[in-house]
Amino acid sequence: MKQNENRAGHPGYPKHMGAGGQAEDIEIGRPSPERTRAANEVGSAIAHQLNGPLTALRLYVGEIRQNSGRFRESAEAEDHIQKMVEAAFQETERVCAMMRVIADSFEGPLYPETAAALGRDVISWWSRGGGTESGQANARGPAEAACFALLTPREREVLGHVSQGCSNKQGALRMQIGPRTFESHRARLMRKLGARNAADLVRLALGEVR
Amino acid sequence: MDPHLHDLKQMPYLVKAMTRILVIDDDANVARAIQAILARHQCDTAIASRAHAGIHAFQASQFDLVMVDLFMPGMNGLDTITRIRSESVVPIIAMSGFRLRNSLDADQDFLGMAKLRGATTLLRKPFSPPQLVAAIDRGFGLLSSAGGAMQ
Repeated sequence: MKQNENRAGHPGYPKHMGAGGQAEDIEIGRPSPERTRAANEVGSAIAHQLNGPLTALRLYVGEIRQNSGRFRESAEAEDHIQKMVEAAFQETERVCAMMRVIADSFEGPLYPETAAALGRDVISWWSRGGGTESGQANARGPAEAACFALLTPREREVLGHVSQGCSNKQGALRMQIGPRTFESHRARLMRKLGARNAADLVRLALGEVR
Repeated sequence: MDPHLHDLKQMPYLVKAMTRILVIDDDANVARAIQAILARHQCDTAIASRAHAGIHAFQASQFDLVMVDLFMPGMNGLDTITRIRSESVVPIIAMSGFRLRNSLDADQDFLGMAKLRGATTLLRKPFSPPQLVAAIDRGFGLLSSAGGAMQ
């Protein structure tokens, strides 16, 4: 399952959504080198920022843990541990201040209903980056499940037909609705799931069924 | 129980008495944390927040071991290692939060490059107090250099 590797477009900013949602089929998703580089730079800048306070914090907390039993042993030990506690507190504050800056520096999605898709994207980015070694990198997380929960029964039906390879016309025929209606269901579906093209949609649908 | 004996039992690693350590890291808080931990292990730690200041300090005084952060403003850590190695056999610990693997050559990363430049051992941030002490022991050749650096 390679669904995470082709996530180039920002799901919060669906492009080519006009004209019945046809144009996005042309776009085959590979992240552009520029986008990959930009993502790398942002990621490493954040990691670099956080690494300092986290290193200091880990040292202080480790020291506190190792010496916690000796708190009452001597005035010197007590003084040392108190200093470590205070320093750990300061470093925690430093991490939190950085987190606030980081959390505030990303633009929100254009459409409120794509917010969940954006969250899913962030989480899949994290698992792809090896943040967890659970071997579940491609399993759908809570945010992805939340995206699917947003779908109406009609949209789920459309998703089923699209994932079976139906064209708009075929799908419309099966559902006994007009092709334009089918298209608009499909466009909304893609926006909610953060899919950029039909192939993306199928990948997501297969993930759902699995 | 004698608190000193207790201390020795707590600490499986051997750090020799009053070791002089130079920490070169642009994040002063990290350097101070290292200093605070090492003070409990009979280490006297000097701090430099820039590569050039670190090299000056190294030339002006005697140190038993040098810790260098690889990413700093101005001269980078790799050049600092080259410079110190060119004039001394002092153990050098290279610290970094990144491996920055080259996608064309998976074995080539910044910490690996630090080793090529003459770093004695590597320490990946963020590290714990035992990892810090173990890295210093590896620097002095008290522990085998195999394992430990990357966990």
